[in-house]
Amino acid sequence: MKYALFLGCAIPIKYPGFEAATRLVCDRLGIELVDLPFSCCPPPTSMKLVHYDSWLALAARNLCLAEEAGLDLLTLCSGCVNTLKEANLILKQSEAKKRKVNKILEEHHHHFKGTIEVTHILDVLYQDTVVDKMIKEQVREVPLRVGCHYGCHYFRPPKVMYPEELSAAESYVPVKMDHLLSIIGVEPTEFSRKFLCCGSPLGANADQDAGYAITKQKLAYIHERNIQAISVICPSCFEQFDMGQIVLARKNKEKEKIPTFYLTQLVGLALGLTSKEVGLDVHRVKSKKLLESVGIA
Amino acid sequence: MTTIKIWKHFPREDLYECYQCARCTGSCPAMQVAPAIGPRGAILKCLNLGHDEVVEDEKIWLCCTCNVCEDRCPQKIPISDLLVALRNSAARRGNIPSRLGVAIELLAKTGRSMIVHQLDEMRAHHGLAPLPPAPVEEVRKILKKTGLEEVVEI
Ligand code: SF4
Ligand code: SF4
Repeated sequence: MKYALFLGCAIPIKYPGFEAATRLVCDRLGIELVDLPFSCCPPPTSMKLVHYDSWLALAARNLCLAEEAGLDLLTLCSGCVNTLKEANLILKQSEAKKRKVNKILEEHHHHFKGTIEVTHILDVLYQDTVVDKMIKEQVREVPLRVGCHYGCHYFRPPKVMYPEELSAAESYVPVKMDHLLSIIGVEPTEFSRKFLCCGSPLGANADQDAGYAITKQKLAYIHERNIQAISVICPSCFEQFDMGQIVLARKNKEKEKIPTFYLTQLVGLALGLTSKEVGLDVHRVKSKKLLESVGIA
Repeated sequence: MTTIKIWKHFPREDLYECYQCARCTGSCPAMQVAPAIGPRGAILKCLNLGHDEVVEDEKIWLCCTCNVCEDRCPQKIPISDLLVALRNSAARRGNIPSRLGVAIELLAKTGRSMIVHQLDEMRAHHGLAPLPPAPVEEVRKILKKTGLEEVVEI
């Protein structure tokens, strides 16, 4: 099993611990990762809103690199997967858009053909063969009450992200993170507004306080269910919960903080990696005590 | 500044499919915490006042781009496409939040949308090699050709 690894920007630059955890986990599970000279995806929450044609062309260039290597593209971030999956679909469907983009990429010797698929680490880990290997390689359980937060761009709009999973109402609600984590001993716990926004794009683009107000509401529902940890699959969601709790605590004198994990960090712990190896030491909200309480160092 | 024809990017007739039930707005996280226009409001304003009014309003940026509105719409109106088209048009008229403008400039100049000090040290702490430089020149040429300069200087 081999993929072109699309790191994006936030993970290799702000949260390299997620990258380290992902590389180690993929290595253990027999998933080969190839690095290519990608650029920013670019984000559905910035470039796409400002200049659609630039968004599409830059995304197409990234898709072309994976095509040229003959590999499907593996993303680690909800923004990246949203942009690259949508751009891939649009360019496969619209001859006119494809022609326009190819004219721009011509001078750089790229030509979009539409030969690859875009996927996300959660979907890659959820494949039967990978799950089998994970069960074999697992050395310990991670018995925590975890709230899975999927973020928005990983699955919305579902007609673009998961067209084959649409319900009669043409909607779709993801379950893979809950299922996957239950395999490693996690107790996935539901909470209100589980599938709504973390607040990040509103904060980043327009109004930081309003963005954190959304996070605060969400955290209140998470506390209400006595959830011990949050699991995310997107660096923006992570920042919103990890940094967000520090910022909110300053304002509200809230003492209880809930550690946030990136998916492959939790999987890594189950495979026997240490918290340092999966990069937990640099998180703002510390998880040391919580992990020690369940026998994980 | 040129303006884009937003009805090329969003089928205008779809606006008339909206029966103002406000199911979208009822689910909109931005509406709960900020004085946003909201999806129902954006559609109504486009119909009643024309989209010009909407794209000149700074409040058009008070949105999480979470796409929940579209997900909940019983009429299956492609609201996210409308919101993208409206904001593309807004940006061309200079209505763009300063933070966002700065982020786009950074992307055009570095090929990445993020920057930190001591990146190599941070990556080494996690046992990772330095991040290879992004293909800046190629990125910038592509962005120039697609006309990003209509919106920000690059
Ligand atoms: S949910 Fe759809 S039909 Fe109802 S107000 Fe919103 S856009 Fe209109
Ligand atoms: S995409 Fe924007 S308008 Fe639609 S529900 Fe989300 S925040 Fe509200």
